[in-house]
Amino acid sequence: MRASLFITCYNDTLFPETGRAVVRLLERLGVALDFHPGQTCCGQMHANTGFRPEACSEAARFVRLYQDAEAVVIPSSSCVAMIRDQYPGLFDELGNPQLRHEFQALLPRIFELSEFLTDHLGVEDVGAYFPHRVTYHASCHGLRSLNLGDRPLRLLKKVRGIDLVPLEHLDRCCGFGGTFSIKNAEVSSAMLAEKLVDVQRTRAEYCTALDNSCLMHLGGALHRQFAPMRTLHLAQILAGTEAEPAEMPA
Amino acid sequence: MSPSAHPSEPHSILDPRHAPPFPLAALPVLRNPQLRKNVAHATDVIQARRDRLVAEKQDWQQLRDAASAIRTHVLDHLGEYLEQFEARCTAAGGQVHWAGDAAEARGLILRILREEQATEVIKIKTMTSAEIELNPALEAAGITASETDLAEIILQLGGEEPSHIVVPALHINRSQVREIFARRMGIPDLADDPHALAAAARAWLRKKFLTVPTAVSGANFLVAETGAVSVVESEGNGRMCLTLPRTLITLAGIEKLVPRFADLEVMLQVLARSATGERMNPYTSLWTGVTPGDGPQRFHVVLLDNGRTGILGRQTERQTLKCIRCAACQNVCPVYRQTGGHAYGSVYGGPIGAILTPQLMRMEHAQSLPFASSLCGACYEVCPVQINIPQVLIELRAQAVDQQRRVQSRLIDPLYLGMRAAASLFAGPRRFRAAQRMARIALRPFTHRDGPDHEEWIRSLPGLGGRWTLTRDLRGLPEQTFREWWAARAASAAPAAPAAPAAPAAPEGSAPAPKERP
Amino acid sequence: MSTHTSSRTLILERIRVARRAAQPAPYANLPRPYIRVGSLRSGARLQLLMERLREYGAEVTGCAPDAIPQAIAASIAHSGHRRIVAPPGLPAEWLAPGAHRGTHPGTDPGTDPNVYVEWLIDHNLSIDQIESCHGVVTACSAAVADSGTIVLHHSATEGRRVLSLLPDWHLCVLRASQVVETLPEYFAQCIQPPALVTWISGPSATADIEMTRIKGVHGPRSLHVLLVQDDASLEEPA
Repeated sequence: MRASLFITCYNDTLFPETGRAVVRLLERLGVALDFHPGQTCCGQMHANTGFRPEACSEAARFVRLYQDAEAVVIPSSSCVAMIRDQYPGLFDELGNPQLRHEFQALLPRIFELSEFLTDHLGVEDVGAYFPHRVTYHASCHGLRSLNLGDRPLRLLKKVRGIDLVPLEHLDRCCGFGGTFSIKNAEVSSAMLAEKLVDVQRTRAEYCTALDNSCLMHLGGALHRQFAPMRTLHLAQILAGTEAEPAEMPA
Repeated sequence: MSPSAHPSEPHSILDPRHAPPFPLAALPVLRNPQLRKNVAHATDVIQARRDRLVAEKQDWQQLRDAASAIRTHVLDHLGEYLEQFEARCTAAGGQVHWAGDAAEARGLILRILREEQATEVIKIKTMTSAEIELNPALEAAGITASETDLAEIILQLGGEEPSHIVVPALHINRSQVREIFARRMGIPDLADDPHALAAAARAWLRKKFLTVPTAVSGANFLVAETGAVSVVESEGNGRMCLTLPRTLITLAGIEKLVPRFADLEVMLQVLARSATGERMNPYTSLWTGVTPGDGPQRFHVVLLDNGRTGILGRQTERQTLKCIRCAACQNVCPVYRQTGGHAYGSVYGGPIGAILTPQLMRMEHAQSLPFASSLCGACYEVCPVQINIPQVLIELRAQAVDQQRRVQSRLIDPLYLGMRAAASLFAGPRRFRAAQRMARIALRPFTHRDGPDHEEWIRSLPGLGGRWTLTRDLRGLPEQTFREWWAARAASAAPAAPAAPAAPAAPEGSAPAPKERP
Repeated sequence: MSTHTSSRTLILERIRVARRAAQPAPYANLPRPYIRVGSLRSGARLQLLMERLREYGAEVTGCAPDAIPQAIAASIAHSGHRRIVAPPGLPAEWLAPGAHRGTHPGTDPGTDPNVYVEWLIDHNLSIDQIESCHGVVTACSAAVADSGTIVLHHSATEGRRVLSLLPDWHLCVLRASQVVETLPEYFAQCIQPPALVTWISGPSATADIEMTRIKGVHGPRSLHVLLVQDDASLEEPA
């Protein structure tokens, strides 16, 4: 099986270890990966901030780049939500039916990582080993736009050695919201503070999610507060095995 | 300006034309722990009740589908249904008036009240009257407007502004209510027990209900088929206002219609569950024009446009008009939870307010509101008429940015410049790679190693970045990007050729040029 | 008035322009995927109604069809209210034994033979007269078990709207055969939409202060439903 990796701009730049973990995980499961060096950004940041023509260009780039891919795997639930929810409107806006058509053909082959594992590959036990106390944060886009349901938890439950603790108010936003965290920094911080109370109450060693953007938000505040808890993308937990432990941050 | 126009000074904090932008307006609330506690408590309670009752309703999603379809259908046939309502209501003895904007609606209501020689009106809570700022206009005309909903009495006597669509005094706790009532009703030994406070309100209003001959109400639903009007409430103050006075004036937005009486079988099921977390609210009244011997014998309906037809013409935003003002979006919103309603600078707060207010202002004011959301989507999930609020927020953000593209001040807005710069960097991998390298160099002076693992972290950034580092550190940029790692790995593993790209490489800047928006 | 006419024309014209590209579907195409007819047997239906009425603080008692007058009298006696108003169409025999129009001594069938019930019948009573009553007895048009709702259409047996509003205690006589399970079942019964409806779900209430639910603000602070077992197949209410 082949798949193309769309790593996303911020994983590429800020969280390469997540990308490396996805590669390790999927290759272990027998997936041949390719990485198109032409990739940049899906356009989410521009679209959600109101810069629509800019987002249109980025969306068009994405579709052109991946139209022949067998499957596209994206380790970021919000980027997948962007593609599914907003691309059709952007292509209508562009007045480009050809692009819209190509997109519709590509759409069923686009997967968020946990979807790719559970739905496309049909695996829940990926052979992972992670002997730590972990709590899972459900990113809003994964929860409500992709309707990931318990897919991530099913994957985590099969990880050997893991001590999985539930997070209270699982459906409440961490307050990141992209440029919201800048434009409304104080409100965003207040939301984050409330989220952190729930996160820290789990006394987990690691907080995981399917979106490094939420984790950057949570992790940045945990570090600011000298909290011992770390954040880790789900791919990094799933990548580790007993023979070859998970790659820890830094 | 017509004499009916509201006095221009001082401006209410909920006047979108004068309210500060949301991020600024939110600051005083964020610094008020008592207020935040009150808001969080109230929304938690309503949410929990709503969730329980929605869970018990097996056909909840089907009811949402039907409610959404009914409301969409009404907007598709709005003209016909308005005319049908007008004809039926008139035939039943009501008088129907049409108001193009807030000033005209105020003028119409004042004219009716002058004909009635009214010096006082009793009011059942109506968001629409708050929207048109009716009370200040009545006061200016020498007419006392007495609110009768418990929450509205608290606000009126306390000189407070509403902070929620359904429970407008939720930011005020019992001891604050006690203080207001004790002072304004002259009951110094009043207890702060909610029962005692409600009893005080009952006694305070009883005589007014029995003697004031004119009332103003809003409407939850207008039934096109019969010309009937329906009002949903809990305390009975609504029934008092709708039943006892000689003259009743109902102010309703033109979108408030349902096609037929039987459509209430859907709307009433979703409304109370969403609004107050009840299976059905204690009292729902429906009346048709004038009934001899029962209730007001003079009945006026004022149908208000005030920007609604403008919204109707826009494809994505039209769904805003499906709203039935249940405020479920407000209760679930994590932003509202932190800021309460006043930060929205509008009588309509929360997610629905963030999309409705700027549209009612024709995007001339309140442009910061569409950005007052993390786009978490909880509002859309609970909306009983399935308004895709995040979608409308994004649409309005695009309009706000398009406005910004036309003004010179964009050139000193770091976020605007940053977004434009990012667009050019994302246009091709060479520029993007260069930017990644540049960023690593640029951030180096701000990056420090700390902690047991000697990781690189950024604690403080200048300018826009400082908005992030307000409360959050930022991981230092790693030495190697993912693409660098991939290239290195491919080079070492397979000297022949790296994995074949899935598609021919798109040349730099090959993406279609952005279409200019009108 | 000219401004009135022009605003009307203007608004309707704006709507027409706004919707000119629309291809609206007919009313008949509206989806109705929700539950329209309930599935409970009659006993369970009544049980549900009673549960839900009680959950919101209403009192529910039952009686046999031939015992309505006695049950009403007992309820009044138990309520402690002595000045009761009734709509003009309420069956005369429902008024407490011995009572008829005007002021009359009522006899309490249960406990106190000296209890005095003063009945006022609403033949154009003034607001002050109604306000002076402590209680009201009415019939109703339907009840919905799912939401715990009593429906008044304000006919001659249900009284005009003010009648069931001002007195602090409302005794509503409901026949078991009037109870439907779902709200859509009620609407299906209304072939001709009624001109006046009041849906009552429990006594007046508010949660405006700290979301604490308080029973009784302006409307009747007590709602008592007298459920008449007019269907032989029904079991006794709990």
